[in-house]
Amino acid sequence: MLNAVTADVLAADAAPNPWFDLSYVTSNWDTIVGYLGEHVRLTIGAVVLGALIALPLALLARRSRWLAGPVLGLSTLVYTIPSLAMFAFVAPITGITATTVLVGLVLYSLVILVRNFLAGLQAVPADVREAARGMGYGPARLFWQVELPLALPAFMAGIRIATVSTVALVTVGVIVGHGGLGQLITGGFAANFYRAQIVTGAVGCVLLALLADLLLAGAERVLTPWSRGTRA
Amino acid sequence: MRTRESSRQTRVAATEWPRDTEGGAMRARTRYIVPLTMAAALTAACGESGSSGTGGGGDGGGTEAAGEACAPVPGDQLVVLEDDQQLQNADNIIPAVNAAAAQANPALLESLNAVSEVLTTEDLIEMNAAVDVERQAVDEVAAGYVEEQGLAAEVSGGSGPVVVGAADFTESQVLATIYADVLTAAGFDASVQTAGNRELYLPALQRGEIQAFPEYLATVTEFIEGDDATEVASGDVDATVEALQPLAEGYGLVFGEPAEAADQNAFAVTQEFADELGVSTLSELADACGDGSLILGGPGECPTRPACQPGLEETYGLDFASFQEYDAGGPLTKAAIQQGEVSIGLVFSSDGALAQG
Repeated sequence: MLNAVTADVLAADAAPNPWFDLSYVTSNWDTIVGYLGEHVRLTIGAVVLGALIALPLALLARRSRWLAGPVLGLSTLVYTIPSLAMFAFVAPITGITATTVLVGLVLYSLVILVRNFLAGLQAVPADVREAARGMGYGPARLFWQVELPLALPAFMAGIRIATVSTVALVTVGVIVGHGGLGQLITGGFAANFYRAQIVTGAVGCVLLALLADLLLAGAERVLTPWSRGTRA
Repeated sequence: MRTRESSRQTRVAATEWPRDTEGGAMRARTRYIVPLTMAAALTAACGESGSSGTGGGGDGGGTEAAGEACAPVPGDQLVVLEDDQQLQNADNIIPAVNAAAAQANPALLESLNAVSEVLTTEDLIEMNAAVDVERQAVDEVAAGYVEEQGLAAEVSGGSGPVVVGAADFTESQVLATIYADVLTAAGFDASVQTAGNRELYLPALQRGEIQAFPEYLATVTEFIEGDDATEVASGDVDATVEALQPLAEGYGLVFGEPAEAADQNAFAVTQEFADELGVSTLSELADACGDGSLILGGPGECPTRPACQPGLEETYGLDFASFQEYDAGGPLTKAAIQQGEVSIGLVFSSDGALAQG
């Protein structure tokens, strides 16, 4: 089976292993873009779903202090579950799919989003709400036309933090093979500590987080033109 | 015996350090040291023996000193001594396929068996070296192999999507990519999905989330069998496959033909050492080294594991002067063999380092 065969095997010289290697990026461009796409999809999916779940929870929590405690407590409790364990818990149900990662990410985003949404809603002055009600605003109109614009800066702050934290957390999805750029980081470790691959994954994550934050900051500026004057 | 997972983790963790401390420099240094050490050793030998023979045939003459015949000999090239009495479990590469998927289209298993038919341990060594040492991309290495072996022409009859699973280390990635390439050539729409460990991917294979996986015969047999106390896998490939088939059936999997290629514990010496003693198997080594001058290197658990030192002593009748603790087939053990600190050391049979000059 195994003979002393290797004498005739091609001698292989170790290739250099620099931290930064542009040729790695160019020659593996398709792979990198593929992982980047997955990373972006997971991040957007998690933050959007998280916001959709967090908003009703925040509205619920605002109604009474009795509800606020459990809602905030539960989302914080979920956040304390180690991410590795979280994916291990979810994986038997949803399998080794991107859904597993998405479920974990949404749960983690809740703690940030619910708290910020609630803080935003609570910061709406009571007399403003009362004035709106006095003008005949129903609950829906009150929320969309009065509360939401006033709470928007706090909402956006929460979404920005959640997005940046989600970009970083996606990498833990490597456990089920859907870790976006995290695949490059662990792949580099597994491939005899391939530095260029690890750095590409890590720098990619950082750049993606910065870009996302910048875009959201821009969106916030566009959405809240009235606050621009005070800031400048 | 350790499970494959833990051995992988050890390996990955251990592999990091020489790179961290400038692997290239270390290797280069080894190259310079080796000739020097050899020269020094030869000079010393000549001095001791009174140097009557100027012909440098000190090799044969060296045996007169009791307990020196099998002392370490430094050298760059590592060679594996054949495990001719099958001490190690047969961890040959074997395609694992979801039972329902295999039944739906026999071309799936047939295509993967075509890979098993040609895949050798030397191929694994070369491909691992190409990725881990020469830094080539996994896709290219796999595609190159499929083309070199002409595998695409041998397969046909596939249709529909197939997901091939891969564990997160180089060899598994390369093999899964080869599987996917061959399945694509057969007409399947194949893709590769990485999944961390056996506890995750084998149930996924069972459920049909992934349809195929390049597995390791003895390790997967023991995993499915599940009872740590009983050992059904052995060093005999055919017997292990026979034990695996009924287990796999109950688990919802079908296994193809095992390849000749295996990634298992192996014992390596330097080419110089093997040449000097004229040995290529562990049995020959036991015959040549009866004087108890062998020094063994390996992981800390080696002196207590049946597949390591006790196995070598009982199965082959080898007699060691001492044991030196390094890592599990990692850079420390390999460097110790190359630098002549140990005569023989534990490595993994498909390690890319076995291809280095």
